[in-house]
Amino acid sequence: MALTLPTHSSPTVIPLRRTPKPTLRRANHRVCVASGGAPLLQVNDLRAKIVESNVEILHGVNLTVNQGEVHAIMGKNGSGKSTFAKVLVGHPDYEVTGGSVVFKGENLLEMEPEERSLAGLFMSFQSPVEIPGVSNDEFLVMAYNARRKKLGLPELGPLECFSYLMEKLELVNMKPDFLNRNVNEGFSGGERKRNEILQLAVLGADLAILDEIDSGLDVDALRDVSNAVNRILTPEKSLLMITHYRRILDLLNPTHVHVMDKGKIARTGDISMVEAIEADGYETVST
Amino acid sequence: MSGIALSPAALSPVIPNRIRKLRPKASLHAQQAFTSDPYVLELAETLEESLPSSPSTPLPLHNLRHASSEALLSTPWPSRRHEPFRFTDLSFIRQSRILPVHLPPAVYAGALSALSSPSLLQRVSQLLSQFHHHDIFWSINGIAAPDLTLIYVPENCHVDNPIHLHYTPPHATTPTPNTMHLSNPRVLVIVEKGAHVQITEEFSNENQNHPYWTNAAFEAVIGEAANLTHSYIQTQSFRAAHIKWTSVRQESSSTYKLTEVSSGGKVGRHNLHIQQLGPHTVTELSTLHLSVGDQTQDLHSSLVLDHPRGYSRQLHKCIVTHSQGQAVFDGNIKVNRYAQQTDAGQLTRSLLLEPRATVNVKPNLQIVADDVKCSHGAAISDLEQSQLLYFQARGIDINTARRVLIFAFGGEVIDKFPNSSIRDKVRSQIKTLLDPSSDSSSL
Ligand SMILES: Nc1ncnc2c1ncn2[C@@H]1O[C@H](COP(=O)(O)OP(=O)(O)O)[C@@H](O)[C@H]1O
Ligand SMILES: [Mg+2]
Repeated sequence: MALTLPTHSSPTVIPLRRTPKPTLRRANHRVCVASGGAPLLQVNDLRAKIVESNVEILHGVNLTVNQGEVHAIMGKNGSGKSTFAKVLVGHPDYEVTGGSVVFKGENLLEMEPEERSLAGLFMSFQSPVEIPGVSNDEFLVMAYNARRKKLGLPELGPLECFSYLMEKLELVNMKPDFLNRNVNEGFSGGERKRNEILQLAVLGADLAILDEIDSGLDVDALRDVSNAVNRILTPEKSLLMITHYRRILDLLNPTHVHVMDKGKIARTGDISMVEAIEADGYETVST
Repeated sequence: MSGIALSPAALSPVIPNRIRKLRPKASLHAQQAFTSDPYVLELAETLEESLPSSPSTPLPLHNLRHASSEALLSTPWPSRRHEPFRFTDLSFIRQSRILPVHLPPAVYAGALSALSSPSLLQRVSQLLSQFHHHDIFWSINGIAAPDLTLIYVPENCHVDNPIHLHYTPPHATTPTPNTMHLSNPRVLVIVEKGAHVQITEEFSNENQNHPYWTNAAFEAVIGEAANLTHSYIQTQSFRAAHIKWTSVRQESSSTYKLTEVSSGGKVGRHNLHIQQLGPHTVTELSTLHLSVGDQTQDLHSSLVLDHPRGYSRQLHKCIVTHSQGQAVFDGNIKVNRYAQQTDAGQLTRSLLLEPRATVNVKPNLQIVADDVKCSHGAAISDLEQSQLLYFQARGIDINTARRVLIFAFGGEVIDKFPNSSIRDKVRSQIKTLLDPSSDSSSL
């Protein structure tokens, strides 16, 4: 399993000088060649139920994300988008009842949630939980050190991490006092979303799944968040965002757009499908 | 037997004197062959001035001070040029402003039997008679307490340095089977009108497996608008019985804040009784009980609100990590008829981390008054799945996540200790108990 740390915070400068194909790199938007990279995530006929109630929510999801691709999943409330994302990170509320998920050539479903994270899978939660009594910086240092340990690097003390964290805070346009607050405790909706992106900035990812990262964000916050995502995820990294809105799609330029309906991917297309959805709702595209 | 060690800050109820001013003499000596160090002279003078003058300094103490002050006149501050300090640099002391640490002169902290002031003795008897019989352990302490440690803070006196009462257990002589040493320390705190003081009681242990019985009693009278901040830490041996009474009487507009963390004892039982004597009182009680072995932690508290516009908050938290561990909480808050516009809150939360661990909680808010704001709640749970997943989803393994979350649960109470050195100390004690394999600094 390969794992990379986000060492370059601003990847946009170098490619312009060094590579003859700047269009393959992200300048200000991510521009990718469709299906250029190797398969990163392969989901095949994935079925999952809620452990507590035994109700099946995912009824056979199929999806492939290749290296460097940007995917978007849209779909009605309650269609199973968040459940899909949470099943991928190994949330204990759900049990996989069928199908397979391969991530970087490995069986993802056999991995513990922390192993999935260390393997390079990141998900920003639609509703991140509050963790009273644990400060944001303590949490970030722990998570960052878990990653360093996995890479065989020495763990760092809180002071040694400080400048690294400050750099990441700046990237998401957050104030330093954010670090002293308890994780998500008393955070506004927008602050929670920024905090998820801060974690992505600190940890990096080969595949970032952003579950409604744009909901509840004002225009400025949305711009901060998309700028940060564009800078954190270098062109060979992949992105899977779940959203209801066009604004973030325009900022992050998906190569593939999927519509989820009743626990399945009902349709796949490109950005042009979004216009049809905006005009006529999900009914026309999912049938 | 348990003794009470007062911290150095508390060790100056001694009645000192001032021999003379050093300054004139110093300039006299300056012209002579041997040199006086102006820094040392100034330090000596500051120290002499910080001691209250009294005619009745005992002769040996008087002589000690006299001889020492003579010696300091011709002693320079040690520097690296002095052979005994060649490798030890003390200049950073010299570069600091030195402030003598003393209790204010009118504060008394010491044995009741050593108290000579008749008026103070009379005040003590008057106040002591107002405490009623509580239970058998209270009375056992009452007949057996060899002396009474008195902390007396006169009107409007603000004591800046916390007073630390350290109770050490009896020394481990090889215990014969079925015997227990019993000690009965007793403390009386009088905080007169408008005065402020912080008191820490620490019951420690020297040997985790030594059986003994500590039967302690602590009484406090808090005068009008006075303030007592009380910290109580109990880490006695896992074979000890620790029984403790805390009985507090609060005059109007006074404030009493108690923070307790108990993790020791085979049985730890805290009886806490607070009686309000006038309106506008503030009472804040926070307790963390931890049972990591075959042990019981028990808090029985009663708070009686009899007067208008009182404010009280009680937070009880317990963590039981052992299948034979137990926590007990019986918390009674009575809001009586005249206690209108009282704001009383009570919350108990238990974390049971073993399937067979038990907790018996009986939060109990009895309200007779009708115009009051009262809230209470009780929750017993394991750790939250969704919180654990959040850690894991960021690459943190589940054991670390559990440890951090358990500790954060208790941290809410530990954070309430007013003193940062106590907070740090208790944090590391609790970390070690929750995860004996870890070195506590790595969390
Ligand atoms: N942990 C859970 N407990 C109970 N019901 C759940 C749980 N997770 C998801 N569901 C249900 O599954 C369906 C899909 O939910 P979700 O995946 O959150 O939809 P979406 O994100 O597309 O809006 C909804 O009906 C939701 O109520
Ligand atoms: Mg959702």
